[in-house]
Amino acid sequence: MTNLIKIKNLNKTYSTAAGDFVALKDINLHIQAGEFLGVVGKSGAGKSTFLNMINGVDQLTSGEVTVNDVSIHSLSEDARALWRSKNMGVVYQSFQLLPMLTLVENITLPMDLSDNFHPRKSRDRALELLKLMELDEHAHKLPSFISGGQQQRVAIARALANDPPILVADEPTGSLDSITADHIFDVFEHLVTQQGKTIIMVTHDMALAEKFSRSLNIVDGQLVEIANASESIAMDHTIRMRK
Amino acid sequence: MKTTLRTKRKTAPVQVADAAPEAIIELRGVIKRFSNAAGEFTILKGVDLNIDRGEFVSIVGKSGSGKSTLLNMVTGIDHPSDGRVIVNGTDIYTGVSESHRSNWRGKNLGIVFQFFQLLPMLTLLENVMLPMDYVNMYDFDERPKRAIELLTLVGLEKFANKLPVLVSTGQQQLAAIARAMACDPPLLIADEPTGNLDTRSADTIIQLFELFVSQGKTIVMVTHDPSLTSRTHRNIIISDGELIDETISRSLPQLRHRHMLEFTKIAQLRSYNPHEVILTQNQQADEFFMVRQGEVEIINGSTSSRLGKGAYFGGVELMRGTPTVVDVRAGNIPVQLLALPKRDFVRVMNESPITAESIMKTSTF
Ligand SMILES: Nc1ncnc2c1ncn2[C@@H]1O[C@H](COP(=O)(O)OP(=O)(O)O)[C@@H](O)[C@H]1O
Ligand SMILES: Nc1ncnc2c1ncn2[C@@H]1O[C@H](COP(=O)(O)OP(=O)(O)O)[C@@H](O)[C@H]1O
Ligand SMILES: [Mg+2]
Ligand SMILES: [Mg+2]
Repeated sequence: MTNLIKIKNLNKTYSTAAGDFVALKDINLHIQAGEFLGVVGKSGAGKSTFLNMINGVDQLTSGEVTVNDVSIHSLSEDARALWRSKNMGVVYQSFQLLPMLTLVENITLPMDLSDNFHPRKSRDRALELLKLMELDEHAHKLPSFISGGQQQRVAIARALANDPPILVADEPTGSLDSITADHIFDVFEHLVTQQGKTIIMVTHDMALAEKFSRSLNIVDGQLVEIANASESIAMDHTIRMRK
Repeated sequence: MKTTLRTKRKTAPVQVADAAPEAIIELRGVIKRFSNAAGEFTILKGVDLNIDRGEFVSIVGKSGSGKSTLLNMVTGIDHPSDGRVIVNGTDIYTGVSESHRSNWRGKNLGIVFQFFQLLPMLTLLENVMLPMDYVNMYDFDERPKRAIELLTLVGLEKFANKLPVLVSTGQQQLAAIARAMACDPPLLIADEPTGNLDTRSADTIIQLFELFVSQGKTIVMVTHDPSLTSRTHRNIIISDGELIDETISRSLPQLRHRHMLEFTKIAQLRSYNPHEVILTQNQQADEFFMVRQGEVEIINGSTSSRLGKGAYFGGVELMRGTPTVVDVRAGNIPVQLLALPKRDFVRVMNESPITAESIMKTSTF
């Protein structure tokens, strides 16, 4: 296994009117290709901040994040956006599909924007992704005609449009009921085991911790690995981390 | 951002010859049915509605009453089972293909939803430029400039190059509004645009809408918030898939929606020429009147007063069973009244103490 993402001495401080606020404190972590990594923690713990550091959406205060040996925070903003479009898919709690575009058009859009695929190919690919999400029969519907869980699967398909090796998801099941949420987990598991994707998912629901191949807990901006007896791999990582 | 979005070839949409000239939206007998396992049910039961250019209109109604369905008929997100929808002179359903409609919509409508639908992988600036790319409006080089102008208008120029997750939900909604206005549409449709925002963000958005209206835009907004309806020109109530007569909702705002709807169905329209007599003193009247248009003159001996739109008369006498104590006649211009029969009026008042009390109190005679 290779270390896909390396996080070294990461710190993030927000400056606010009330003074500086340390949101992430000295984080060190390696994430391997093919992991389904859960990041759990209470609201306000720093989970979203952590994701925004990994995908380069926000700037870090000190430290380094390398993904596939690219030090992403050293890239210019434009280069980072381009890098992100090829390497990371993002999924958020709200699905944010464009209401005026059909499902297949919503998924085609990022491919057309990034120009990674020929327009004719992009549509075929969008249909394939919808099939993967078991939504192909709805391909030409507008988002308001499908359920919330289905919309989230479309958002996942859109995140996969440019075939990124990594998917990051911030509370993707936060607005879904538990049965629908389970379905989203099944989709993620399939992407990890069948397609070799690496997935990092944030949730405030501690009960979900056992669903991941490894879980981390963020407490007040600090990373704590959850000891999980059934997952020997977790211990392995802990040891690796301490080196 | 690379723009390779394809714009489809289009033919001119069909102009409607007999469209109402001032109306930017015209619904004629719009019916919407849905069917599911339980059977077929009718959500919109024959809606007629004209909205004029430059109007700021709010639409309210209980959850499930059909507000979103109604907006979906105007935006073309869904289509009516029967009836016609004419927007900006175009019949948007008759003989128009989905792709023509989508292009037409891009240029004529801005749409804002409760959940903002900004694309998470694009910056605010790119999100605002998206509709321009999509319908191929404005020169390629002009688009970023126009997008910045719009972001400046909504107070977000500082955040133009940020991704949506890095700004607050209120700011995301403002960016979504900037995006809705990207192609300078004459009409903005908003479905609960302030639905999950704090009051301060909501207020910012209404101020922005007021600005657009002052520039000649037409805005139709569904809302749950009564404090917002007072800021629009016109408030439309929908109850169980039917529109309530606006004279009734303006005159008797505290009535239950189902009672307003009942009155809507039984009210009779009465027209009077200037100075024509409507009621005379000591007459045993058998109707309750609401002023729909013009003014009536109330003459009580040597004093007289005038009642305009939203006012009513005759209610106290009906409730007490006493004769009319004043003369009422039409003012200087033609008058339209809505009349309700005594029996129905009194029965509903017996079930509506708040309205009955306020009629007793505000009655001028
Ligand atoms: N832009 C910001 N400016 C100042 N403080 C922030 C900002 N973003 C987040 N924070 C603060 O940082 C802490 C962690 O936030 P976040 O990463 O969003 O937490 P979580 O996702 O775990 O709920 C919170 O206390 C939050 O208020
Ligand atoms: N696609 C649909 N299929 C079946 N019923 C629907 C559909 N969309 C809406 N409805 C029903 O139509 C009614 C009106 O819905 P809606 O217009 O969304 O109400 P509102 O926006 O006023 O809350 C509701 O009872 C809703 O369940
Ligand atoms: Mg968060
Ligand atoms: Mg609704």
